[in-house]
Amino acid sequence: MRRTGVATLACLALTALAAGCGLGSGDAASGDDDEIVIGISLPLTGDFSEPGKGVQRGYEAWADYVNANGGLLGKDVRLVILDDQSNADRVASDYERLINQENVDLIFGPFSTRLVVPAAQVAQDYGFLFVEPAGAADEVFEQGFDNLFYAAPAVADDHYNLLAEHILAMPEDQRPQTAAYATMDDPFAQGTAYGLRDKLAAAGIETVVDEVYPPNTTDFSSIAAQIADSDADIVVGGTQYQDAVNLIVSLRQLGYQPDLAAFSTAPTNPEFPEAIGSQTEGIISPTGYTPDATFEENVAFVEHFTEMHGHAPSEDEANAWTTGEVVAAAVEAAECADPSPECQQELIDFLRDATVDTVVGPLSWDPEGRPQSAHLIQQYVDGEIRIVMPSDAAEAELIYPKPAW
Amino acid sequence: MSGSLLLQTLILGVLLGGLYALLAAGLTLYFGVMRVVMIAHSAFLILAAYLAWFFHQQTGLDPLLSLAVTVPLFFVVGYLMQRGLISRLRPATLTMMSVLLTFAIALAIEGMLGFLFTGTQRRIQLGYSGSSIEFFGARIAVVKLIAFGLAAAALVALFLLLKMTRFGQALRATIQHPEAARLLGVNTDRIAGFGFGLGLATAAIGGTALALDSTIYPSLHWHWIGPLMAIIVVGGLGSIPGAAAAALLLGVTQSLLQLPLGTTWAQTVFYVALFATLLVRPQGFFGGRLAQRF
Repeated sequence: MRRTGVATLACLALTALAAGCGLGSGDAASGDDDEIVIGISLPLTGDFSEPGKGVQRGYEAWADYVNANGGLLGKDVRLVILDDQSNADRVASDYERLINQENVDLIFGPFSTRLVVPAAQVAQDYGFLFVEPAGAADEVFEQGFDNLFYAAPAVADDHYNLLAEHILAMPEDQRPQTAAYATMDDPFAQGTAYGLRDKLAAAGIETVVDEVYPPNTTDFSSIAAQIADSDADIVVGGTQYQDAVNLIVSLRQLGYQPDLAAFSTAPTNPEFPEAIGSQTEGIISPTGYTPDATFEENVAFVEHFTEMHGHAPSEDEANAWTTGEVVAAAVEAAECADPSPECQQELIDFLRDATVDTVVGPLSWDPEGRPQSAHLIQQYVDGEIRIVMPSDAAEAELIYPKPAW
Repeated sequence: MSGSLLLQTLILGVLLGGLYALLAAGLTLYFGVMRVVMIAHSAFLILAAYLAWFFHQQTGLDPLLSLAVTVPLFFVVGYLMQRGLISRLRPATLTMMSVLLTFAIALAIEGMLGFLFTGTQRRIQLGYSGSSIEFFGARIAVVKLIAFGLAAAALVALFLLLKMTRFGQALRATIQHPEAARLLGVNTDRIAGFGFGLGLATAAIGGTALALDSTIYPSLHWHWIGPLMAIIVVGGLGSIPGAAAAALLLGVTQSLLQLPLGTTWAQTVFYVALFATLLVRPQGFFGGRLAQRF
């Protein structure tokens, strides 16, 4: 109630500047009736500029695709994109401006947890539906937002779910008995490794090493020495990029040979095989998106995107496109796309119970907005990273135990 | 904790300490010769690492061969930098202003590397990057051994140069008492330029050694400059043997502390040592007659 008060106050203050304030803004400046205006703030400069630009490419490709295919509810889609400079204060005022001054009909989320939370708060205050392409850390879903939906397959803790199920389904005598974990002190990287650790530990697979290192660590020889000394059956890294590469090389130097080696993020990086060479064979990584996935929507997405940009899309672009698909599905079901609280509530209510087909597969959400799907599990097989789980999307058989590196 | 893990960690610590020793030697040399705090030392280190990576990527030859180019190149760059930039700072504020100047140089190098090679993290892929030698149940990685060997050879060469040659005598005289050296006919300006060049040449060797066994990216130098600064203070500003001894000691301590404390807390050993030195023995624990005058 207090929040609503603040919003109303902000709204009144802005009324002097803007044509209208939520109510009756449909016929304001941009309220042209044959187009649907979507407001977005993205980190186009600053810390998150690289992924921010990726998300921008994804949104623009989606709008282009929709307009080329008859638009949304028969209207053209127009994007208004502001630059929040990766600044959390700026992102909130950007969304205030989009809603109050630009009079947008819908909003899409920004990039990264740090910016998603303040942006979602503004959306909540104005009763807007808020679908976001990035912001997988737990804190996003613990703020009590009832308008938020994360447009990706799974939150960080669930990235390894398919792998965990697979390991736990192994016959007792083939199953790994001990596991070593090394994770960066970062909510996302830790979430992935700890999600798997907790599931395996609950099933009796003993955690023999559990090391956390600060993000600036470059020398991994001591951590590698502890893992090698424990001779754990499997090793799991909650990693980003250089940490995974340095840890793998250090482990090889110590002659450690696990049956299974899984690292988040790094193995899907195109630079990874160049850094590790032929020793990538058997390394596992969860991934939220691959252009090779055979979902009908994805085939169309990859084709359209490649035509526009000359290369296949990556995960940031895919999640942006997914955001567009999710909102579009809600708009088509509710047959409305305007900033009125009634329409926005209808959109939110629809997504609450819906399952939407997207480029990352069918998505549905829990009440806090956590997607209920799972990440694909990829593995280097014959020198190429391929999908090995789930079985209906698999391009290759899982190799276990992994060959020596 | 098993005995073999302890031995393994000890070996890793010695190997790491050797690299620290070489890198700190250059840094303490600048300070000795010129009272210059050279923030850009580790940026040159990363520059040399990038040159080694680029050389390997273009020619496919062993990155160690790039030393033939980078060592003379860095010596000349160091000489020019000292003569052209640093010697123009006012003597009264030299130490302080050199921090600003070399900070700017570090940023310029970082920006240039990012511009030329992008921020993508690079690693030299060598046939022997994962090989190791068995040593009483512990393993010594070949690349780390090569890096250690390079560091040791460069340090010994530097030591002999300073102790055995006329140039070395002149350089030490310049470090100990510039005015007296000038009265005895030493061209201290030129000697200081050469001293600076020598310091930068050690960065070329250190950077190449670093490139053998790490993933490099333009901003990596910020992770190195802190520990190195701490090492030269602990070792006694201006003292090369002091820097080497402190580097080895702190490298080993850091490695060993990772076992009970974990990586996060083990990193603080450099700064704890720095505070302790300033509290107990500000002139440094090894040598460092020089710093007493400050």
